[in-house]
Amino acid sequence: MNSPRPITLLIAALGGEGGGVLTGWIVSAAEQAGFPVQSTSIPGVAQRTGATTYYIEILPVLTRELGGKRPVLALTPGVGDIDIAVASELLEAGRTVASGFVTPGRTFFIGSLSRFYAMDEKIAMGDGRFDQDRLIAIVKDNARDSLLIDMEQLAKQSGSIVSAVMLGTIAGCGKLPVTPEQLEAAIRADGKSVDSNLRGFRAGLEAARAKVQPAKPVEKKRHAPTTPELLEHEVSYSMPALAQATAIEGVRRLIAYQSVAYARRYLDRLRPITEADAAAGAHGKLLKEVARHLAVRMSYEDVVRVAQAKIAPQRLRRIAREELRVKDEPFSVHDFLKPGIEELCQLLPSFLARPILRVSERRGWLGRVYFGMEINSTSISGYLRFLMLAKLRRLRPYGHRYAQEQRQIESWLGLIVEAARCSVELGLEVAECARLIKGYGDTYARGLSNYRTIEARLTQPALAGHIAMERAADALASARTAALVDPEGESLAKCLSEIDGQASFRIAAE
Amino acid sequence: MERSFKKEVQELRLGDGDTFHGEGILAVTKALLQSGVSYVGGYQGAPVSHLLDVLVDAQDIMTELGVHLETCSNEASAAAMLGASINYPLRGAVTWKSIVGTNVAADALSNLSSPGVIGGAMIILGEDYGEGASVIQERSYAYALKSSMWLLDPRPDLPSIVRTVEKGFELSEASHAPVMLELRIRACHATGEFAAKNNRKGVVSGLNRIQGPPRFNYGRLAHPPVIFTQEKLKVEERLPAARAFIREHKLNELIAGDLDDVGIVVMGGLTNSVLRALERMGLADIYGSSRMPLLVLNVVYPLVPEEIREFCAGKAAVLVVEEGFPDYIEQAINVELRRADIQTRVLGKGSLPQTGEYTSDVLLEGLAAFLQAVHPKNIDADTVAENTRGLIAHKAKAAAALGPLPPRPPTFCTGCPERPVFSAIKLMQRELGPTHISADIGCHAFATFAPFSLGNSILGYGMSLASAAAVGPNMDRRSIAIMGDGGFWHNGLITGVASNLFNKGDGVLIVMQNGYASATGQQYIPSSVTSRDGAVPGMDIEQTLRAMGVKWLRTVRTYSVSVMVKTLKDAMRTAERGLKVIIADGECQLARQRRVRAEDAVKLERGERVIRTRYGVDEEICTGDHSCIRLSGCPSLTVKPSTDPLRTDPVATVIESCVGCGLCGEVAQAAVLCPSFYRAEIIRNATWRDRALFRFRQKVIGWLGGYSGEAAA
Repeated sequence: MNSPRPITLLIAALGGEGGGVLTGWIVSAAEQAGFPVQSTSIPGVAQRTGATTYYIEILPVLTRELGGKRPVLALTPGVGDIDIAVASELLEAGRTVASGFVTPGRTFFIGSLSRFYAMDEKIAMGDGRFDQDRLIAIVKDNARDSLLIDMEQLAKQSGSIVSAVMLGTIAGCGKLPVTPEQLEAAIRADGKSVDSNLRGFRAGLEAARAKVQPAKPVEKKRHAPTTPELLEHEVSYSMPALAQATAIEGVRRLIAYQSVAYARRYLDRLRPITEADAAAGAHGKLLKEVARHLAVRMSYEDVVRVAQAKIAPQRLRRIAREELRVKDEPFSVHDFLKPGIEELCQLLPSFLARPILRVSERRGWLGRVYFGMEINSTSISGYLRFLMLAKLRRLRPYGHRYAQEQRQIESWLGLIVEAARCSVELGLEVAECARLIKGYGDTYARGLSNYRTIEARLTQPALAGHIAMERAADALASARTAALVDPEGESLAKCLSEIDGQASFRIAAE
Repeated sequence: MERSFKKEVQELRLGDGDTFHGEGILAVTKALLQSGVSYVGGYQGAPVSHLLDVLVDAQDIMTELGVHLETCSNEASAAAMLGASINYPLRGAVTWKSIVGTNVAADALSNLSSPGVIGGAMIILGEDYGEGASVIQERSYAYALKSSMWLLDPRPDLPSIVRTVEKGFELSEASHAPVMLELRIRACHATGEFAAKNNRKGVVSGLNRIQGPPRFNYGRLAHPPVIFTQEKLKVEERLPAARAFIREHKLNELIAGDLDDVGIVVMGGLTNSVLRALERMGLADIYGSSRMPLLVLNVVYPLVPEEIREFCAGKAAVLVVEEGFPDYIEQAINVELRRADIQTRVLGKGSLPQTGEYTSDVLLEGLAAFLQAVHPKNIDADTVAENTRGLIAHKAKAAAALGPLPPRPPTFCTGCPERPVFSAIKLMQRELGPTHISADIGCHAFATFAPFSLGNSILGYGMSLASAAAVGPNMDRRSIAIMGDGGFWHNGLITGVASNLFNKGDGVLIVMQNGYASATGQQYIPSSVTSRDGAVPGMDIEQTLRAMGVKWLRTVRTYSVSVMVKTLKDAMRTAERGLKVIIADGECQLARQRRVRAEDAVKLERGERVIRTRYGVDEEICTGDHSCIRLSGCPSLTVKPSTDPLRTDPVATVIESCVGCGLCGEVAQAAVLCPSFYRAEIIRNATWRDRALFRFRQKVIGWLGGYSGEAAA
């Protein structure tokens, strides 16, 4: 039976983003233009930042030309029946495609490249972010035509909200039976924040028409200040090209962290790795990773480093300019510190630190006694407190923590060299285990204990030949991933027992 | 309230000759006024939260018409309100979310439907089934069956909804039975238009009051001995009267089609979906003409036997499109055809799935299966079915291509005062070990999602404490019950607290006192600081609990995580037996922000001093472990790529939407996480003292080599 088809529009958004307002604009523009239109939504608790959708159908025949007939408009979107799909965020774009609503034969897809990370992506202990390139690829593969643009950035630049920008991009795609002017009129008729909404609308419209990406301030990597050329020069002739930039970054960081001599020691430590790298034919791949981790490990987080960072002029300038957007108003920055006995012992020499830690442990003070403080870093006394702590840098090499860290680093480097003799992959995996050791307090202790568990259960046995070499690298990689899944260590324990199971099964089979 | 309908309710004043444009819930309200109701009421809950909000915002218009509005304390009180229509010729309507609200109201509904009504009594049910639903998936149909109330399920377009409301009152009066009208969530929020009529004043109303009660009539009571007579009346008089009315007024629709050896019997609410599916299959047009005959049941209970027989007679097979389990309608049609000895095959569940929402692709698949099962004349069923499946084949392919995506369930808003309580519970459990947590209905149920994943059972609104009654005595540590202030007044006060005290129970109860029924859109509750008319309700949770005899009672500001952890530990460990209540006090941040932003804007305008606070993370110090996120879960606390050239894991960051509640800093302190968090404050319209102090400090710090504050802009 032949009859006109409605134009269908599916909007995927997050609760609280103004999807309802956007839907209202489109409906009122279509009504004003004289087309039969219907929208539906599913308000409810999903509106609390959860994923939600809005659905609109417009019959592109004027009501007065229908001769009293009324179209039957659907309330739910249909797979293969969507003309325009819009998503305000990239993961939601992927979700819309995954639910089948975006079809190559029909759908014009408009999506934002911006990300609002989902909880599961954020709570991973390492990097839990979903692969962005896969999301973009899946949209392009499934849509008839697509427009992917950073709408959040456009909204920011135009001082507007994302729903206004979305309306602009919808207008710009030219698939609606209403004109951009009619949509603008709907914004005006709505009467709320008209100016800023119109700015966002126009920004979206232009971007859609020209298909241009908004200029985004590139997140530049912060590089440490340059330093004695001699050390950098040494890097450039002694190391494969692949690893040089990383090693130079490491040198710079460690000079700022401690001293030139400390950076010198960094390069000395990399020498056996350079040799191992060359011997294994890794072309600098192993060296680069070790150089990266070693610089991070040698610049471990202690109270001196925190104090240095807290009073760095560039930090306060960034907060004032970028976060508070200060013009000439007074502002203040308050920092929270809560050192425990362990932190306080870090800078004491071992012969003093050890007995204090022993007594504290016996009395159950460790992990319980803390000295909480709030410091106004923009006040004179606050600044001086941090300055004093930062000046303790000179004492650092005599401290208990320093000695501990250097020992651990040496042992880790030794394992890498040994592992690299077996295979580059194993060397890389052992090096990568350094990623587990990070943070402060409990986090640091947990990471270190996971590292030690993996070393004892996998690295050492592998180097001793108790685990088949072809499986060792895989086992290390999965254990490391498991260690970063949950802080309770359940995944790691499960992973290790599975690996043990496989190993014993294998031995039995052999 | 979260959403205001002040502007939209002006449409309710439209009269004859006007065209109404708007949402389903507004159309329902307009239909109520056109029907001459004398009273309305209800309890909020999606899909009809906004219906109650509309009623509240329309109070002025209703007062003009003499309509009494009651925002009831729960669905039972709303249902009992309909008792006014038992003795008096008053039309009235109440609304709530079903199935849960109907469950709460069930006692009153049985006692209402037994004596029956003389004034039209209608219940608007927000049918929370399928996409977006937040409650157990059950059908309201069972209540219609067991209590002999009629169930209307109108086609989801505005003229049809409005007509069904109007006719529903007539049906109620003609048959002396209450009627229920179910609206699915999308229908509640479907926009459209219809020809308006003048509003009507009730025969009896606030403007025209009754003089005294009627003569004593035992027949109006749901009490022996008349209950036996009433049961007979329901079956022998009211049911036939209802069927006669439905048939006479053509409440159900017949769409004729040329494929007359088959047909579809469809619930009114699913009609648009079925017609669209047929249209995509080439068997209908966009204006609702169909080659396949349809019987549209705008009244799904009772069915009219004659209509069923007439529709099915002469057909080889019919398909019953009935969402949800059990298949009451399909069974009833089978019985009816058996009684009439009609041999038409009845297909329904089987061609269509037993459970779940009938979305567009489910219906296409079901219709294809039906065609192939019965092979109607004059159509190539196999080709049509194959083409139909081609339309939706993309779905499986698309789902497989990307694999599982990170879910995005709803969560606590930025700055929510309830989130810190769960951070504190997590920290307490770290020390004392995990314990049984009975969760409840409300925003706090979001704690069952990541990153908290807290809660062992949910037994209904306000039921958490009661549901722990038999857990505590069988467990080696105290259980914790979480309850919102909404749930407390809805039910928890009696069902939970009174029962616990009466039975000398132990255990811990946390009452989230945020001042509103927040999950449903910040409706006022008895302990709110204000009410819809601006008067202070004056009911206080702490005083109430003390009066009931709770001895161990602490009120803690929710954002003080350390204090909350300590209080929780005390409650868990104290030797004192008996109920221990912690009132977690903090105003709903959505409501607060709406108020504070407006106040701040006024202050800024007037040139008064305003401090804006936000929190931040130093990315030089953050190591990318994300413990803070696992303990806080704030939408404004997220991750971003590290700008450190030597680190690959993303670091934590606080985004612009931060409202400065301070939880991230509190958690970092309480859990001893890391020193990356800071609080930054800017003073707008600063005083000369602020400025002088700031300048002096920055000058000195500048001398010392720090940031001098210069060139800030």
